Amino acid sequence: MRVAVEEKVLNENQRLALELRQRFHDHNVFCLNLISAPGSGKTSLLERTLESMSRDARVAVLTGDIQTENDARRLACAGFPVKQITTGGTCHLDAKMITKALADWDLEKIDILFIENVGNLVCPASYDLGEHAKVVLLSVTEGEDKPLKYPSIFLRSELCVINKTDLLPYVPFDLAAARENARKVHPDIDLVEISCTKRNGLDEWLAWVSRRQQKAMGAPAL
Amino acid sequence: MHELGIAESILQRVQQEAAQRSGARATKVGVRVGELSGVDPEALAFGFEALVKDTPYESLVLEIDLRKRVQRCRACGREYESGMLFSACPGCGSEDTACIAGDELDIAFIELEDPACV
Repeated sequence: MRVAVEEKVLNENQRLALELRQRFHDHNVFCLNLISAPGSGKTSLLERTLESMSRDARVAVLTGDIQTENDARRLACAGFPVKQITTGGTCHLDAKMITKALADWDLEKIDILFIENVGNLVCPASYDLGEHAKVVLLSVTEGEDKPLKYPSIFLRSELCVINKTDLLPYVPFDLAAARENARKVHPDIDLVEISCTKRNGLDEWLAWVSRRQQKAMGAPAL
Repeated sequence: MHELGIAESILQRVQQEAAQRSGARATKVGVRVGELSGVDPEALAFGFEALVKDTPYESLVLEIDLRKRVQRCRACGREYESGMLFSACPGCGSEDTACIAGDELDIAFIELEDPACV
């Protein structure tokens, strides 16, 4: 006999992600999931972001890596709650890891939660963490055809941040082509160009975060 | 994508279903894989085969249904396959379209032998 199942393979992750999403909603937590290849600048972007926040901002960060606590140490310098999730080998963060990491945090005290995913442009795309939006980073030292090579993550992200623009004079990166490619895969994707090192374009990024947060907080109950 | 981990999740769901049906023997599991899911169907098939080899599930068949990216035009309602890249509506040319299929990774069905018939 054939039994219709019609479930996502990643059903268990989906279930936990929905629980997280509900909790974020209940406690007015705005959550972003930052995804990119290793070395594109996720940690640097978060460093710049935290530096720009006022001391009483209620921001927190979960950062994922296979090994080391290096990123958490860097981010902790800003003085906001930061926790490292060390996966040991898993190439992505999943909802179970986020749930466990948040166990001893009071969500009532957090307005914005940034999740820095493991450096990987493939697997994180499929694992819902309960976030309001995924943000994909791409740096100019990578190829402008990255969106075409990794369509899944570009399709699922609301914003594409192109980082390291200060290096444009020294690399063959075609910025116009990169924008075009991102929009070929996902026409509605927002685009922001920044240099974390030179602190260019950060205002645009922060404005996007703020607008997206307002939209999230104004959304109806799940 | 780590297809072996995906294969494990699929097998676990099959085992769960069989256990719920008094240990009926599962013979086939149907999985829907969208071309945007990030899962390579060949790697999944290979991983699944390696997983069930020399186990009681060795004869369990994995049937993979590949799904293309499908867009729906918000202007005229037409649905069309667009491949990995976005393309405008072939009907009215509008670029205001939404992806409605292509990123699935679903277990569609499980076939089991009816224990009463064995």
